[in-house]
Amino acid sequence: MTPQKKRIRLLSILLFLLAAGLYVSLVKGSVKTSFIDLWNFLVHSDQTNAQIFIHLRFSRALLSFLVGACLSLSGAILQGYFQNPMAGPFVVGVSSGASFGAVLALILGVNMSFWGFSMQNVFAFGSGLSIVSLVYILSQRKGTFKVETLLLTGIAAGALASSLTSFLIFFKSESFEQAVFWLLGSFHLADWNHFRVIFPTFIFCFFISQWLAKDMNLLVMGDEIAQSLGCSVSRTRKIFLVVSTLLASSSVSVSGIVGFVGLIIPHWVRLLIGPDHRYLFFSSSIMGGVFLMFCDLLARTILSGSELPIGIITAAVGAPFFIYLLNQRR
Amino acid sequence: MAILEIQDLTAGYGNGDIIKNISFSLNKGEFLSVLGRNGSGKSTMIKAIQGLLMDISGKILLDGKEMSAHKPRELAQKMAYVPQMFEVSFEFTVEEIILMGRYVHQGKFTCITAADKSIIEEIMDLTETTRLKNKKIAHLSGGERQRVFIARALAQDTPLLFLDEPSAHLDINYQVEIYQILKRLQEEKNKTILTAEHNINLAVPYSQRLLFLQNGGIHSLGPPSELITKQNIQEVFHTDVDVRKNLHSGLPEISLTFKKQE
Repeated sequence: MTPQKKRIRLLSILLFLLAAGLYVSLVKGSVKTSFIDLWNFLVHSDQTNAQIFIHLRFSRALLSFLVGACLSLSGAILQGYFQNPMAGPFVVGVSSGASFGAVLALILGVNMSFWGFSMQNVFAFGSGLSIVSLVYILSQRKGTFKVETLLLTGIAAGALASSLTSFLIFFKSESFEQAVFWLLGSFHLADWNHFRVIFPTFIFCFFISQWLAKDMNLLVMGDEIAQSLGCSVSRTRKIFLVVSTLLASSSVSVSGIVGFVGLIIPHWVRLLIGPDHRYLFFSSSIMGGVFLMFCDLLARTILSGSELPIGIITAAVGAPFFIYLLNQRR
Repeated sequence: MAILEIQDLTAGYGNGDIIKNISFSLNKGEFLSVLGRNGSGKSTMIKAIQGLLMDISGKILLDGKEMSAHKPRELAQKMAYVPQMFEVSFEFTVEEIILMGRYVHQGKFTCITAADKSIIEEIMDLTETTRLKNKKIAHLSGGERQRVFIARALAQDTPLLFLDEPSAHLDINYQVEIYQILKRLQEEKNKTILTAEHNINLAVPYSQRLLFLQNGGIHSLGPPSELITKQNIQEVFHTDVDVRKNLHSGLPEISLTFKKQE
């Protein structure tokens, strides 16, 4: 099969799954609704279940899609950035860093906001960026990255940030629910305000990464070679680091830490359609969105009456895959 | 006329200078080979004169204009680089790799044009990489990979070409073939070519000038007929050789001397 046919096939499958996922997300939930109810709402504007369909289920499906898309795009960028298919926003420590920043803002009670972006978003971004910059500086040697150093520094920095987050939560708020939200992720607080942050962030970052996708193909070859092929290496690297952190931190602000999505999805997409970032960025975003939408569906329906943190679902799927990857590299 | 003028170039990787006080100029349309022992600084010099190293002092003039005044994109339209063998982390196909050479002639969002396509077809033909085009780079042999990276550099279509040991990993038929291709590009398209080469006998017939590098400095620079002497080789490589005339080219070539063990 030619690469183009592979890409078209993947995209058609994803679009089908997206439609199916949206439908199931709208129909399934604690309040019983059926296809007929949805039909009546959509076609005959029957308002009985409008609140449930639009404000509870559709907003949630859309947000989980956007968070999944952000995390996967962030992962696709970081994997290219570190020339390593095992990088990802969680592995590299950005997610944990961002989560720490968000909790810090919450506890300090800084409540300013501008254009829908709150101080919480700013703190999450700032502390995510500090973590990833630290990991970058520590794991780089002459423009290439040692896998071991990268993974170990990332995991250590992430663990440190997570322990600080837990400390803040238990020290200040003593709320178990909050801890679960920030450390394991959940969409149960999802509302349209979140949408105003994450949607423009995703569109902006997607556009930037698509604009620099060819440069990312060159960066994967190593800095010297990328430069000899015309890439402005240090400028491109800076932009990608900021963009991937923006994506990861804005998704953390919505749903807390959701691990493994940003690691497995881009890797999987690369196996399916190859490493050309012009297509990888786009396909990873869609696939990540669809994947997380289904995970959230599971998280809120698997137990009747209560909700699982979504991080449990993604980790249950992601961790075995991660081990499989580690095994393959040997 | 000098296309590249190097004055007092000193460079390294941030922990000591690898090459020191190198000055020479490269003439337009010239073929120059850099020879020297392993670790003498050949690769470092090739990278440094393309502006790829950070830790650098001295002056490099490209077409009379200071190198650092050029943007990477402008430089990549003027010079192409074939690095020493390296691992590619992701599984790009041969065609994708060669097409990267065309990026510098394309806009950020534009895809390959018909012109790009015909250029890379011609180049894949020239480097015998056509039948490899859908293969993944990691699945190729050393020699095949080398030809792919040479093809990518040619796809950049630049007046200047830098090649770091282009004959490494190649069988002798391909060694000669690659040099024949380079020679043809030099003659037909007036390209300026600089290679680092470890095979002296291969460099001699194709190069107008040789540059012997020793401990990061220039030992000597000149046409092969003057430079290839028993004494020079002894000084640069610490090896005893016989120098004789090649039957076909009339140029000097070296052969190893064997000391019988006593």
